[in-house]
Amino acid sequence: MNSFVYVNIFETKGLEYLLLLCFWVLFIYLVRYLSAPVKKRKDLP
Amino acid sequence: MNTAVTREMGHFFQFLIQEMKPRGPWLTPFNVISVPVILTGLVVLYFRFVYGLGAVTNLSQDFPWGFWLGFDVVTGIALAGGAYVITFVVYVMKVDKYQSIVRVTVLNALLAYIFYAGALLFDLGRPWHAFNPYIGNSFGFSSVMFLICWHFMLYMVAAFVEFSPVIAEWAHWEKARKILKGLTLGTVIFGITLSILHQSGLGALFLMAKPKIHPLWWSEFIPILFFVSSIYAGLAMIIFEGTISHRVFKNLIDPDSHHAFEDIIFGLAKGAAITMFVYYFMKALLFIHGKQWGFLNDGWGYWYLLEVLGFVLVPGFMFAFGFRNRSLNIVKLASVLALLGIVLNRLNVSFISFRWYAEVHYYPSWQEIVVTLMIIFTEIWIFRWIVTRMPVFKPAH
Repeated sequence: MNSFVYVNIFETKGLEYLLLLCFWVLFIYLVRYLSAPVKKRKDLP
Repeated sequence: MNTAVTREMGHFFQFLIQEMKPRGPWLTPFNVISVPVILTGLVVLYFRFVYGLGAVTNLSQDFPWGFWLGFDVVTGIALAGGAYVITFVVYVMKVDKYQSIVRVTVLNALLAYIFYAGALLFDLGRPWHAFNPYIGNSFGFSSVMFLICWHFMLYMVAAFVEFSPVIAEWAHWEKARKILKGLTLGTVIFGITLSILHQSGLGALFLMAKPKIHPLWWSEFIPILFFVSSIYAGLAMIIFEGTISHRVFKNLIDPDSHHAFEDIIFGLAKGAAITMFVYYFMKALLFIHGKQWGFLNDGWGYWYLLEVLGFVLVPGFMFAFGFRNRSLNIVKLASVLALLGIVLNRLNVSFISFRWYAEVHYYPSWQEIVVTLMIIFTEIWIFRWIVTRMPVFKPAH
């Protein structure tokens, strides 16, 4: 039977904040990429 | 009065008998493949119900949930997620562009719930006990299964009500159609609420299995992951299924809808790209929070990376690229990869990574695979029967 295991939630916090920062920066880029006027297909008149 | 009703009923039954007659050629490749599979599946089911689960499945006390639950129920319901997404977009957000695919998407979801949730009865050791949560014999309020049982049943009713105006239109019941149409918005909101809760509820089924599921797949946030992934699974399924339907049933769809469908596919691809991006970062966040980099050095780690990078990140980028460059082929390929990713994820959680440390591992028997194929083929038969008779490919108006 396992006894109490201490989990240090701050151990990975730095990396998590970094990841979230990356997420928001990339998310803005993704939305801008998808919202820009779409490229016309060459095969269409 | 009674005579008029009797006459009306008589007309309807005549109409029904007329509609029951088969249309189109019998000897098609699909029929040639599906009929033997369905018949074999029925024989397997006979053995399953007479001799028990052990006679036809590789399930055991150590692996009580296998292919039937993992694929039919857990995966099938995720793939039916398109209906709640599209009905939300059309009826709540009032985006009319997707009107033309509402009916067929709701029909798909209705059939998926009937067949895949219905398949649960094959998987239960004592299937007659499945009714206990409904009749109050043993409600089991504290169980996630209680929530899922009720939600499946209520969602089937909601999806049927959402689809019922099509049936009324087909049967020329104009008054009934108007009444049923009036119920749509309320039913849609009810259905969306149910869907969000039971899509995540399916994930919650695995919360208790923490010591048995590989840490790369188990997380306390698995219900949220299941819910978010069901959004893009549903969108990818609509693209995949819609592409096939527009090819197979092209004579039932007017040419304007064919052109509009391309635009719809790109809209769905955009939604799928954003959702997959969010899902990927949620997985990354959980990976970092769980300090799981140590698990990547073996076969399970590579398998996990294949799922997350190959079947989430790559199709996510492909959806975005395909949308931006107006490439239907890339979007279609992305939808196939995204669907494979969902199947892989659900099977990984359900049984592949379940008791990953066990010396003897579960793998599905041929009978389990045949019964699953039987369910899929039967669903396609019913789908084909309905779309060739009812105005399913017409926009909901």
